[in-house]
Amino acid sequence: MTILLRKGLTIATLIFSMAALGLTLPEAKNQGLVGEQTTGYLGIVGQPTSDIEALIKDINARRHSAYENIAKKNNTSVEDVEKLAGQKAMQKTAPGQYVKSDGRWVKVQ
Amino acid sequence: MKPSNMKTPLLTSLPLTGLVVCSLGLLIGGLGLSACTPTVKVDTREPITINLNVNIKHEILIKVDKELDDVLSEDSGLF
Repeated sequence: MTILLRKGLTIATLIFSMAALGLTLPEAKNQGLVGEQTTGYLGIVGQPTSDIEALIKDINARRHSAYENIAKKNNTSVEDVEKLAGQKAMQKTAPGQYVKSDGRWVKVQ
Repeated sequence: MKPSNMKTPLLTSLPLTGLVVCSLGLLIGGLGLSACTPTVKVDTREPITINLNVNIKHEILIKVDKELDDVLSEDSGLF
């Protein structure tokens, strides 16, 4: 292998492994960093970091697309789908994780 | 009536000693505990009913609910 190719591979491996070390949603939830809300989207529980913001921005965007698809398929409004999603998401939240209730973050018992 | 072979604790066989020791214990214990009584807050409020104000036909609600179950599951990676 040429030196250039080897260097390229090293850099590529580093980039991919850094991506693999990124925060996942289950990790973020279990660490109490993010939680479910009545809006149907994820919120940040404590201090925002760029990692956490990137994570929820990604997930929330994909959720929004999914909600739009459901609304179109069923001839109902996105707003209604979001409200229903919010209730479901909060109900499905596992003990130890957080939900936003009455404007305050509460740990599910 | 007390059976003769029954062992009685020292405190009860010497009534006044028991009273003094207990009082001393309470006094010392009370002084110690006042600075470290943890306050545990328990949420005992009644569960609240949320009026979603969603105008949706029942059949559609069932479908939407099922589809949301797929979105809001670990499998989708979105929940």
